[in-house]
Amino acid sequence: MEKGEIQERVIKVVSNVLKVDPSMVEPDSNFVFDLGAESTQSVQLVAAFEEEFNVEMDNEAALSIQTVGGAVDFITRYVQ
Amino acid sequence: MTAKPPAQPRPPHPLESLFCPRSIAVLGVTPTPGTVPNDIFRNILTGGFTGVLYPVAPGKRSISAVPAYRYVLDIPGTIDLAVIVFPANVVDKAIEQCAAKGVKGVIVISAGFRETGADGLARERRLRDVCREHDIQLIGPNCLGLINTDPAVALNASFARKMPDHGRIAFLSQSGALCTAVLDYARGQQIGFSKFVSFGNKAGVSEVDLLEYLHADEQTAVILLYLEELSSGRALIEAARRVTRGANAKPILAIKSGRTPQGAHAASSHTGSLAGEDAVCDAVFREAGIIRVTSIEELFNSAILLADQPMPRGDRLAIVTNAGGPGVMATDAAVHAGLQIARFNGDTTQRLKAALPATANIQNPVDVIGDARADRYQAALDAVLADDNVDQALVILTPQSMTDIEDIARTVCRVADSTDKPLTCSFMGACDVADGIALLHARHIPHYILPEWACRAMADVQRVCRWRQSELETVQLPQAAATLPKYLLNGDEGYLSEDRCLHVLQAYGLPVSDHRLCTCEDEAAAFAASIGFPVTLRLVSPQVIHKSEFGGVALNLRDESAVRAAYRDMLARASAHPDRPTVTGVIVRRMIPAGHEVILGAKRDHVFGPVLMFGLGGVFVEILRDVTFALAPVGPAAARQMIRQIKAAGILEGARGQPPADLDAVCDCLCRLGRLVHDCPRIEEVDINPLIVAPAGQGAAVADVRIRLGPADRAAVE
Repeated sequence: MEKGEIQERVIKVVSNVLKVDPSMVEPDSNFVFDLGAESTQSVQLVAAFEEEFNVEMDNEAALSIQTVGGAVDFITRYVQ
Repeated sequence: MTAKPPAQPRPPHPLESLFCPRSIAVLGVTPTPGTVPNDIFRNILTGGFTGVLYPVAPGKRSISAVPAYRYVLDIPGTIDLAVIVFPANVVDKAIEQCAAKGVKGVIVISAGFRETGADGLARERRLRDVCREHDIQLIGPNCLGLINTDPAVALNASFARKMPDHGRIAFLSQSGALCTAVLDYARGQQIGFSKFVSFGNKAGVSEVDLLEYLHADEQTAVILLYLEELSSGRALIEAARRVTRGANAKPILAIKSGRTPQGAHAASSHTGSLAGEDAVCDAVFREAGIIRVTSIEELFNSAILLADQPMPRGDRLAIVTNAGGPGVMATDAAVHAGLQIARFNGDTTQRLKAALPATANIQNPVDVIGDARADRYQAALDAVLADDNVDQALVILTPQSMTDIEDIARTVCRVADSTDKPLTCSFMGACDVADGIALLHARHIPHYILPEWACRAMADVQRVCRWRQSELETVQLPQAAATLPKYLLNGDEGYLSEDRCLHVLQAYGLPVSDHRLCTCEDEAAAFAASIGFPVTLRLVSPQVIHKSEFGGVALNLRDESAVRAAYRDMLARASAHPDRPTVTGVIVRRMIPAGHEVILGAKRDHVFGPVLMFGLGGVFVEILRDVTFALAPVGPAAARQMIRQIKAAGILEGARGQPPADLDAVCDCLCRLGRLVHDCPRIEEVDINPLIVAPAGQGAAVADVRIRLGPADRAAVE
């Protein structure tokens, strides 16, 4: 899967889970500071990424990711 | 003649942006009720804040129907105060935007800093550095927040459940969790606050800054402090002294946890400081004029009396009661707490006799008898409060079937309005007396369930009065004292030679017997003859620390030939010794007659600065640890208190027919030693052991002294 496609799908998931306009979501967006994620939404995000990409991620490592770009890189490791 | 320029308005206090903001942004608000970020925002909103409030909530259109902003930078207009509730790992981003926005005050509620370990500490330091760089006043992190009940501001920037009532008590706490309990307790007691601050990790604003601010705050009459550590000991003392004395004096009451030996040990091993020693903490508070109390209950019992009643002119108490037993209990408690039971003058007893039934007790405590109604209380209170021998009154009531409790409460309120003497009440019970107590609360007349509590509170007020009356006396120093700190700049770190020690003590007027460092036998013999016999000889050599073991001390030399023999013997020992110590000379001193041996010490603590120690010599110090501490410098009153506080003080005061020792001389030495270590930052430690004290009026003299200097850059650093 191309990284561009991964990024597109990550942005869509983030936009859906955090209920923010997709135009707000950029690679360097911080989930909390820029997109207003609450602590419980971090868990929801990880679950939604797993479902979207049909992978099972290391939860502890996944929860430590703070930005959209970080999530794209992390997921890329699983899907390639 | 030039016209006087118009007075410039006083610039606002730097902490004004925290306490009296006109606009607030809450950064990191979420829409979920019951979370800290949401509750903080709602508390400000529903608390009646009189300024403008903005939620910063990325991705949200509004919070509680208030339009939200993605970033603080997006908000139009200026922001005085930012309250940050973002998680710790993005607080630095929030602070940087606040700095760019020109925000002047920041409260960081978020936890996850110093208290979590090395990473958290690094985060906290970055936070502190940004705030310093941009001149931002920072409260927190890891705190409950701040409350200002002033109706002109009405700010509850905390996650406490309710806005407290407006009052004249300010509460500062290092513990956030304690704050919520205190607020709830105070609410139950109908106690209001002027300001309420949880300062958490105090990365920016400390208790010292807050004391300075509250000193100037017109709405605050009493300051309460809860501390877990005394990390800014010296600055706290200096600030507290300014707050608690002078024209605008305000009492400070404090609880410092860690009173037990276990807690003290933990603190001591943690900080490597005398801070862990509870006796030192007591000394800090005493020297700073802070009244240390032992419980939250005592804290508020005393605070309401200080906040709501006039200060008494003295410690003489009148008790008016309708129950003999509680009157006697109150008398015991008052005497035990150090109050005086007032002796009425003749006019008062005549008035009481005329107004009360024959069975009443017209002496203090005045018993108006169990069937008393409001008129008897009125007559008794009017009479005792008019008496010049009475400084304050305690009203006790037990609820009999004929007792008109509310009428009596109203009477007490009227009496309070017409007197300038403090009144306290104890309406004993719970249910029957509740309405009467409510009337007293409404008029801010301090009420205590038990008379003993009232007495304890009045005793704390006396401590405040005594502190205000005591002056910071100073001792007259010789001229040489002025140049001593410079003199001490020279020389290596470590122990000073004995001749330099004596020079240092003499420069501050401490009693050192006539002496000279002699470098030949003839000089020693001639000097001994000039000062009179008997004399002592002491070898001076940088390599010989333990003189006695070396044979470098000769006592009670009664003539010139004995001096010469001792001198030759000492030098012979030195030259025969395998280490070949360098001999600087021999000190010839006039022998000090026997007397009481006491120890005076001083040590520079890294938290409190110079601390003085006093104790009796020998077993009293080494085994019984019977010593007292005080922060240097001390005045004669504090020095006298140090002496009285050792358990064996009676020995010095003249036990078993022995003449009392010259305690004035000891006081003088403590004052001078205190000034010495205060003025000379290079002095790390002084040990005068012993100071030999003659009978009263005959003085004292230093027999032996050791002084240790700190690093050479110490003087420059301080």
